[in-house]
Amino acid sequence: MSPSFLKISNLSVAYEQVYALRDFSCNVEEGRITALVGSNGAGKTTFLRTLSGLLEAKQGVIEFDNADITYLPSHKRVEAGLTMVPEGRLIFPDFTVEQNLKIGAVSKRALGQVEDSLENSYKIFPKLDQRRHQLGGTLSGGEQQMLALARGMMACPRLLMLDEPTLGLAPLISDAIFEMVVHLKQIGITILIVEQDVNRTLQIADNAYVLENGVSIMEGTAREILTDPKVRESYMGI
Amino acid sequence: MKNSLKLVLAVVLCVFLAGVAGFADEYILGIGFTIFMYIALAQSWVVLSGLTGYISLGHVVFFGSGAYVFILIWGLVPVWLGVFCSGIVVGLVSLIVGYPVLRVRGPYFVILSFGLAELVKNLVLINEARMYVSMRPVFGAPALYQLYTAMLLLAIIATGLTYWIRRSRFGAGLRSIREDEEAAETIGVPVAKLKLLAFAISGVIPAMVGAIFIMRSGIFQSGDAFTPIVSFTMVTMAIIGGSDDAPGPFLGVVFLVLLQELLWVNWPEVYMIILGILLLGFVLFIPNGIYGWLSEKYFGNKKNVT
Repeated sequence: MSPSFLKISNLSVAYEQVYALRDFSCNVEEGRITALVGSNGAGKTTFLRTLSGLLEAKQGVIEFDNADITYLPSHKRVEAGLTMVPEGRLIFPDFTVEQNLKIGAVSKRALGQVEDSLENSYKIFPKLDQRRHQLGGTLSGGEQQMLALARGMMACPRLLMLDEPTLGLAPLISDAIFEMVVHLKQIGITILIVEQDVNRTLQIADNAYVLENGVSIMEGTAREILTDPKVRESYMGI
Repeated sequence: MKNSLKLVLAVVLCVFLAGVAGFADEYILGIGFTIFMYIALAQSWVVLSGLTGYISLGHVVFFGSGAYVFILIWGLVPVWLGVFCSGIVVGLVSLIVGYPVLRVRGPYFVILSFGLAELVKNLVLINEARMYVSMRPVFGAPALYQLYTAMLLLAIIATGLTYWIRRSRFGAGLRSIREDEEAAETIGVPVAKLKLLAFAISGVIPAMVGAIFIMRSGIFQSGDAFTPIVSFTMVTMAIIGGSDDAPGPFLGVVFLVLLQELLWVNWPEVYMIILGILLLGFVLFIPNGIYGWLSEKYFGNKKNVT
């Protein structure tokens, strides 16, 4: 439980001149679920895209496992153990379920145990086992999200970053996804989750940050934030 | 069909085609040469454009550059070493050129690839004009049956390469780029590296094909060596045959070259019209090409399922 598992210091990210994230610092502790909540346009997705190397930081430092990874290309971050499950799932529609999973184990580290990981994925997600030869594009939204999660797990991540995993899913399916996230934590995966469903996310998270217009306005344990009257008013309508 | 049976059939076919070189007449050798040439080109095109979805409309740039490198070192080195060198030089240069070019996606890449071929054509043209050369003849080229055999060899290598890449992890990475480049990047596929490698690989064989081609035509002229028609023809053949796997271009080329011969002999006036209608029909109704259609119909599997 070293506090410096993933440490972000004074991170700023901009699209041209417009800052989407400003001077943001946070810590992700190993073995915990850390949540980042906020409304549309708060900078949540920008943050995850920067962490996975799709966007470049303007300022600030990202340290993973005491190594500076601020300017590392995406595939090297995956190699180091940082894997993102992107918003909108982005599975490969013309690949079968099994091909989708296998390509998730693209890094050298994951490649060595691809068969074990595959078996493991099917154990965790039995639905995918039934559909292993079906094309990814023919799955339902919930199944595609499961597939995206499983594909992320194939990379043998040490930190799994989830971008809006319940976006556009029916409430029942969302429940299943949240349960799955808790299950992943129980098997030892550190999780960083970004969500609009503030209430349910905070219920499963350990620590949380609240983002507004690219700036962190609150941080603490998920319980503290969940019970904060201001948060309850602005994000949960209570 | 069992894989070993397929392999035996392929080897028998290749040996037969190589054997033909010994006694066939000029006409047959000429058709064979053209078929092998386009198989080699279309297969190479598939490695980049078929697998990654980066549609190149300027693949003649490799063909022409290879021909140009070859003509520049013509007479200085043994013929076949010259062919080999032109492939290597073009491959290495495309590693550098590909870096900026492949940062552009979708329709912009299509236009850029076309523009690149035109740019190189005109650079060569200007360079030749500055040296007061309008065309370079190739004297003392090897006999047709030798060129035929060399082209056959390139076609075999190109087909084998496409077949192998399509089934390798490298190929899976390329296809993930075609499916969704951003998703591929997110899950750790080194997209920039893979694209660049595919670009260079898909340039090497066309460069050697270009070198052999000018020995057949007997002359190097930049307008001809870089003609967009070569680009369009290989794209058409790959699309009509099916651009996702090695059998596709093979079927497309054989079908089109034979059709071309037939039409050319019997109805030369409507030849281009029929080709145009065919391409249109395939894109609209059989987008997976002959091979995709066959494997769906007779083997009951969809194109991308292996």
